[in-house]
Amino acid sequence: MTLRAIGRQLITIVLVALFGGLLGALLVRLAPGFGTHDEDLSTQLSAASRQAVHAQDEAERHVFTYYLHYLGGLVHGDFGYSRSLDRPISELLRDRAPETLRSIGTGVCGGWLLGLALALPATWKRSPAYSTLATLITGVFLCIPSAVLALLFLVVGSPGRIAIALIVFPKVFRFSRNLLLKTYAMPHILTAKARGLGGLRILCWHVFPNLAGPMLALAGVTVSMALGAAIPVEVVCDYPGIGQLAWKAALARDVPLLVNLTLIIAVITVVANSFADLLAPAATRDLI
Amino acid sequence: MIRLAHAIYGLLVFLLALPLWSQSGGELHFTIKSDPKTTNPLLVEDDSSEIVRYLTGGVLIRVNRKTQENQPELATSWKVTENGRRITFKLRQGIQFSDGSPFTSDDVVATITALMDPKLHSSTGDAFRAGSGKVLAQTQGKYAATVLFPQPIAGLERLFDQVAISPARMAGKADASTVLGPFMVTEQKAGEYVLLRRNPHYWKKDSAGHALPYLDAVRLYIMQNRDTELLRFRRGDIDVINNLSPDLYEQLHAQDASAARDLGPSAESEELWFNQVARSPLPEYKKAWFRSENFRRAISMSINRADLARVAFRGHATPSVGLLSPANKFWFDQSLKPQGYDPKGALELLQQDGFHKDGEVLKDKAGNAVVFSLITNSGNKPRERMGSLMQQDLAQIGIKLNFVPLDFPSIIERITRTFDYEACMLGLTNVDLDPDGQMNVWLSSSDLHQWNPAQKTPETPWEKNIDKLMHAQASTLDRNKRRAEFDKVQEIVAAENPMLYLVDKNALVAVSSRVKGADPVVLTPQTFWNVEYLSLNRN
Repeated sequence: MTLRAIGRQLITIVLVALFGGLLGALLVRLAPGFGTHDEDLSTQLSAASRQAVHAQDEAERHVFTYYLHYLGGLVHGDFGYSRSLDRPISELLRDRAPETLRSIGTGVCGGWLLGLALALPATWKRSPAYSTLATLITGVFLCIPSAVLALLFLVVGSPGRIAIALIVFPKVFRFSRNLLLKTYAMPHILTAKARGLGGLRILCWHVFPNLAGPMLALAGVTVSMALGAAIPVEVVCDYPGIGQLAWKAALARDVPLLVNLTLIIAVITVVANSFADLLAPAATRDLI
Repeated sequence: MIRLAHAIYGLLVFLLALPLWSQSGGELHFTIKSDPKTTNPLLVEDDSSEIVRYLTGGVLIRVNRKTQENQPELATSWKVTENGRRITFKLRQGIQFSDGSPFTSDDVVATITALMDPKLHSSTGDAFRAGSGKVLAQTQGKYAATVLFPQPIAGLERLFDQVAISPARMAGKADASTVLGPFMVTEQKAGEYVLLRRNPHYWKKDSAGHALPYLDAVRLYIMQNRDTELLRFRRGDIDVINNLSPDLYEQLHAQDASAARDLGPSAESEELWFNQVARSPLPEYKKAWFRSENFRRAISMSINRADLARVAFRGHATPSVGLLSPANKFWFDQSLKPQGYDPKGALELLQQDGFHKDGEVLKDKAGNAVVFSLITNSGNKPRERMGSLMQQDLAQIGIKLNFVPLDFPSIIERITRTFDYEACMLGLTNVDLDPDGQMNVWLSSSDLHQWNPAQKTPETPWEKNIDKLMHAQASTLDRNKRRAEFDKVQEIVAAENPMLYLVDKNALVAVSSRVKGADPVVLTPQTFWNVEYLSLNRN
């Protein structure tokens, strides 16, 4: 991991985030129904008041000008104003971030615990039946959309955010099982086994240090997975987080809010993936 | 012995106090779909803010949701003069805002002056605007105020039901924390809940002289998912639900029949209309179909409304008779008869316009197969079921209906800007019972004249007639004369079918057995319209 590599990743993060934000604004601008408001069907509002509501859209009509203006504001800490929710965006983000962090935290921690809990016995026992069963279970959860899982938890009265853990764990299981199998087949582990070292000692002193790099890389990927799954889960379960906010913003064609959310989600995803990219080659070298 | 007497006395006091104790206190829970956009009562647009305004706002006149008549609140009496241009209020004395400051005519004048500021762009204010000119509000002593409008306003009094009076010092910038209503907003957690606490200075008392409201607080949970809402109702977390969907109503009824209540036809109806806009991008032959009275009537006759009510709404709807539902007690035209289901008669009508059957396909006189699309908003199950049923109904007379659910912004764009649609089905809620509240829909010059908006001059004789009748009903204060004029409008609409009214949805609500004093009504806010008199049974 060199400074040059870190610098390259930082430039990538900035460029992707900027492009993501612009793309977000462009897509909303071109989406059918942009510039419409519920007030358009209000029988009480006068024509003058409806025009006043539409006048607010004018700034967003020219996407590039709007985006430059937005970036200028962002530099000064101004995230803009959500017209659909009638509140400053910084307030909305501040209010809703803790809920999403809770969802992501539950999803990532739960997914890792479950994934590792299934992967370790698969490595130790090497039972074909166990391996097939575990693969089957993870395969099923890979196929089920997070919204459906959340709905199931809702029906049985459990917290819907557990669904995020079930979305994350198949990835953790498959990746960690493969890594564990490779690591346990390495010569120094075999030697340690032959010398009669205990299973726990081998795991803690010889296996985990080898896995640290690639596992950290996977951690980054699971954060972005959890973030992606949090959007439908929050919508289905009525969790007042960033995911639900993104859904509302999309339905209301709220350009300022969507641009901010696109930027945030892009930054988190790219940072997580860059983290994985930076760590993965080293891990691969270690493994080889 | 003395101890025993004390014990018996104590027991008697406890038993006598028990009914009172069980009647007061407690926190009522129900849901709103989103965070209120504003707590400024003058700027309310969305349903959630409207609910907060209803629970917190003190108004001069309240439209009683049960009797549908105006009743005195902060105004003990009022008088409309100058043919509906001036209203003079006598105000209740000795009332205080929730912060203890006194209520006087200055507060009324300041609130109305702020409301009528054109720069505020308030829909509540716009409802008072029958034309240009300045509204003049003046005090007439400490406890009387008068408001003079530039033009007469029909049914002026009922508009004050939405004007929550704020302290003069806060006029235009008020929130729901300093109020004259039964509750005040004390806490708000974005996306989670709004907590309203009892106004300690609320002026109303019950017949026994006890201070109202009985409840200590009302907590409005913010919840969009109706399934979750019902789940939490069954768990006891939520006490009342308004506007249940027919599916959820049936679910609840199967588990707890006493909690689920079908109140009969509400003021919400489902209707469809054809695009009659001359400049729309539709082919000319389709425009000719949609502008034909016979075509519209034939489609209306081909739709089995009883089936729509029975299947799409699981029996919790009533075939519509016209533009008003029977829930509107005074203005509903009793003489109107429901449109019968008559596909054979429909075909005969279509033949008068040159339509003919070619095998199983209906064609117009130029040989174009009759196919049209019907747009509606996605995610509304009864509406989607209605679409499927209408497809089957119209197929019987050889018409192919393409049913296209879209998201709401796309629909608004099509029906208000691009006019790129053939037919549209939506629901309409008559919030204002008075026909004057529908001027924006029925005047041909209006932007909300959905089937053909913003006409420079009425394009059809019947639209010209409706314009005349709507202006006539608005120009008199005599309610009976107004009703006679509006009856004629209802009859023209029933004959010309610019809008095909399909069903009036029943008002379906859920009320927990914990809630005492509930007397749900069909008008919003159905279950808690009498919130001051609600209490929770602690047992």
